[in-house]
Amino acid sequence: MKVGLFVTCLVDLMRPNIGFCALRLLESAGCEVVVPADQTCCGQPGYNSGDRKAAQALARKVIEEFDACEYVVVPSGSCSGMIRAHYPELLAEFPDLRAKAEALAGKTYELTDFLQNMVRLDRVPGKFSGTVTYHDSCSGLREMGVKSQPRALLAKVAGLSVREMQQPEQCCGFGGTFAVKYGDISSRIADLKCEDVLSTGADALVLGDLGCMLNIEGRLRRRGDNNTRVLHVAEVLAGELPQD
Amino acid sequence: MQITSQDFKRVSSLKLTDPQLQKAMGNAKGKLVVTRARSILELDNFEDIREAAARIRDFGLQHMDVLLEEWERNATAAGTIVHWVESPQDVNAKVIEIARNHGVRKIIKSKSMLGEETNLNHALEDAGLDVRETDLGEYIIQQSGETPSHIIAPAVHKSKEDVADLFAEKHGRRRLTDIAALTHEAREILRPHFLDADMGISGANFIVAETGSTMIVTNEGNGRMTTTMPRVHVAITGIEKIIPTLEDVSMILRLLTRSATGQSISNYLSFTTGPKRDADKDGPGEFHVIIVDAGRTRILGSEMREALRCIRCGACMNHCPVYQNIGGHAYGWVYPGPIGSILTPSFIGLENAIDLPNAATLCNQCGVVCPVKIPLPDLMRKLREKQVERGLRPWTERLGLRLWAWAATRPAIYSLLTRIGARIGKIAGGSDGVLHKLPPGGAGWTSGRDFPAPKGKTFRELYARRPVAGKGAKS
Amino acid sequence: MSARENILKRIRAANGKTAPASVQEREAVVARLRAHARGPLPSMNWDPLPRFKERCIVMMSTVDQIGSRAQLPQAIASYLRENSLPARGVCWPEFADLDWSAAGLEFQSRPSNGDDKVGVTGTYCAIAENGTLMLLSGENTHATTSLLPETHIAVVPASRVVRAMEDGWDLLRREHGDLPRQVNFVSGPSRTADIEMTLVMGVHGPYRVHVIVVDA
Repeated sequence: MKVGLFVTCLVDLMRPNIGFCALRLLESAGCEVVVPADQTCCGQPGYNSGDRKAAQALARKVIEEFDACEYVVVPSGSCSGMIRAHYPELLAEFPDLRAKAEALAGKTYELTDFLQNMVRLDRVPGKFSGTVTYHDSCSGLREMGVKSQPRALLAKVAGLSVREMQQPEQCCGFGGTFAVKYGDISSRIADLKCEDVLSTGADALVLGDLGCMLNIEGRLRRRGDNNTRVLHVAEVLAGELPQD
Repeated sequence: MQITSQDFKRVSSLKLTDPQLQKAMGNAKGKLVVTRARSILELDNFEDIREAAARIRDFGLQHMDVLLEEWERNATAAGTIVHWVESPQDVNAKVIEIARNHGVRKIIKSKSMLGEETNLNHALEDAGLDVRETDLGEYIIQQSGETPSHIIAPAVHKSKEDVADLFAEKHGRRRLTDIAALTHEAREILRPHFLDADMGISGANFIVAETGSTMIVTNEGNGRMTTTMPRVHVAITGIEKIIPTLEDVSMILRLLTRSATGQSISNYLSFTTGPKRDADKDGPGEFHVIIVDAGRTRILGSEMREALRCIRCGACMNHCPVYQNIGGHAYGWVYPGPIGSILTPSFIGLENAIDLPNAATLCNQCGVVCPVKIPLPDLMRKLREKQVERGLRPWTERLGLRLWAWAATRPAIYSLLTRIGARIGKIAGGSDGVLHKLPPGGAGWTSGRDFPAPKGKTFRELYARRPVAGKGAKS
Repeated sequence: MSARENILKRIRAANGKTAPASVQEREAVVARLRAHARGPLPSMNWDPLPRFKERCIVMMSTVDQIGSRAQLPQAIASYLRENSLPARGVCWPEFADLDWSAAGLEFQSRPSNGDDKVGVTGTYCAIAENGTLMLLSGENTHATTSLLPETHIAVVPASRVVRAMEDGWDLLRREHGDLPRQVNFVSGPSRTADIEMTLVMGVHGPYRVHVIVVDA
């Protein structure tokens, strides 16, 4: 399978390790992976802020960059959701681009969904002795149908057990620029998510989206919790956890 | 209702630290979310019904004029007096006119959100009429001089201690603390008014084209009394409440009561068709229905059209993480939560409710539970687009987004900027690996959270330097 | 132009239609109304009468079942006695001929004026799906009897239990044609949860509903 890896702007800037983990997982599954060198951002910040033109400019770029790929895989529910659920509408006023957007949307996958359902990965390199709890990111869950896939893959990690929160599907409060514009509401929502995480007693929170990750980790640390690890599912599956 | 949507930020911040509100919201959320989920399981074809409900609502919007004319024909044949009014002020004026024509002094009311839109109670009181809200929650907030904070449970923000104080003061009796006792005291106080009111005013959950009926969904009995006891009954309804047939209503009701309160059915469903018949021994001698536009035709012709499918269940706000934490008053007008974030700017003007479509994470917890599949986050996003088009966003935000797009479409520049950012960020994060403060613009984040620091290098630069070994690696 | 004309015109414009509704559009809409097709219904794999009784209890009514109409006064007297309720009230005219005094009861056949503590009504039909009474207003089916008294006793012939509200409407159309002034679907005692989301029974309508199913 020829896969184009879209690492996402947050992974690129904040957590390159996650990009390499995704790469490792895809390669270990026998995929031929290309990483278009000039990729930057899917355009979601502009899109969700109402700046359609800015978002369109970035969408065009992404469409062109990944045009030749058979599949596009993204270690993010929100960025893959942007491409699959929103690019066609975003480019609706450009008929030629709209067709390309639909083609791209049809071949874009969130990482765990791709590994579980397309590649059918039956073994993962990762090992983890401890319990984790999994947060379902809103776009991953509601736009990309990601729910059972990460859990099925985590079940293959030697030594790892999953303990569910009370409300794994509850929003963490990130919401992109919402986190900054309505910071106090956002922090409060994040705080409730932290309490849910902590109530499981899990050693780590695992999730599939950087926005959620930074938000929840940021709140945990401000609360004085330096013990609960916050890990991207790609890192756990690939067995390449960040050094602390 | 007085508009305070422009105060959203200030009020929402206050509500976050209001212990009473937080307790009330926590209590409500658990009950409404859990009971809805349980009751939905009773319908083994919930998604089919939901799809059919959305289609019926769209049919109603698409053929609204013909359906309303059919409704009117049937209503008139049953003896209903039908009035059409265009503006909120016209609604109030029409009700007052009917009251005057019938020598009305005392009015009992069952809940109407449309009445809140038009400030009906104040207008009636200013006209010298005695108006009593009879729905317990509405009665409570009428007594306390507040506005409803939820469309189904208007007094959800109040504690029983608040109500105990309020009743002790207003009823002039011994202060009670038991919720059942407080409720029964309200029953006792309101009962005489049901019996001697001249006019009853109700809203309408739906109006049925097939039969010319209006119908209300209630639990307390006040709706039945309001529409049965007084000699004149006036129902006010928005044009968008039109549903084609009784079967359509029956089907939608299965979703409405479950979505609203987790009830398989609400206690009373009352379908009113005309005034008392000659042989009837009870019922109003006259039944008036006021059909109201008040901005709905404008919304119908706009990109917010799907919001008119709303059946006022409240599920969206019950499931909204923002609403769950700040309550309804911060939204500043009649409709709070996700539907409020769309209806309020649509009714009162986008420039008067700037925050509402933005104060959302677009998580779509609302859209998933909406019984008529209103694409709530998409509509919020469209309103954000409208704000940008109309220049209503702060220039700093516009500039920031434009710079982001400018840089992100220029890979070399972007690469440079991100490499610099990653390094500076890592240094700023220090040995903790977190930033406690962000540059201007980021204070909203760091007032309540740390910001995890970048790791110092970007993926793209590391990937570009990756040793080419075997398959896969490309730059 | 009247408000009515303005509104209708604006509706059409909002729907992208410049001309008034065509004959075809009207006919199509009216045909849909006349067909009054049912939407998707949930599975109802239960027998109506047991389901009705079970759901009445879930909705916090009490339920009794008797063999014949003649047994009503005794059944009602037992119920009132067991619950320490007054032995008098009002009833619909259809029950005026029952032997109330033999059971030690005093029931007047008239609408309720608000002072009565007990009201006895029949039902047009009963809906099994949720334990619901379908009541029609009318000359002999006073609306106040089931509404004002603290206790509502509803007599339900077993033969009049239907599955769903849609069946109730079909029955009404067949037997009556037009709707009466008010059709009320009553599912138990009145209630509210407006204070701290705590359920309280007996708000403005009855505190309690007692359903008596009559076999014959």
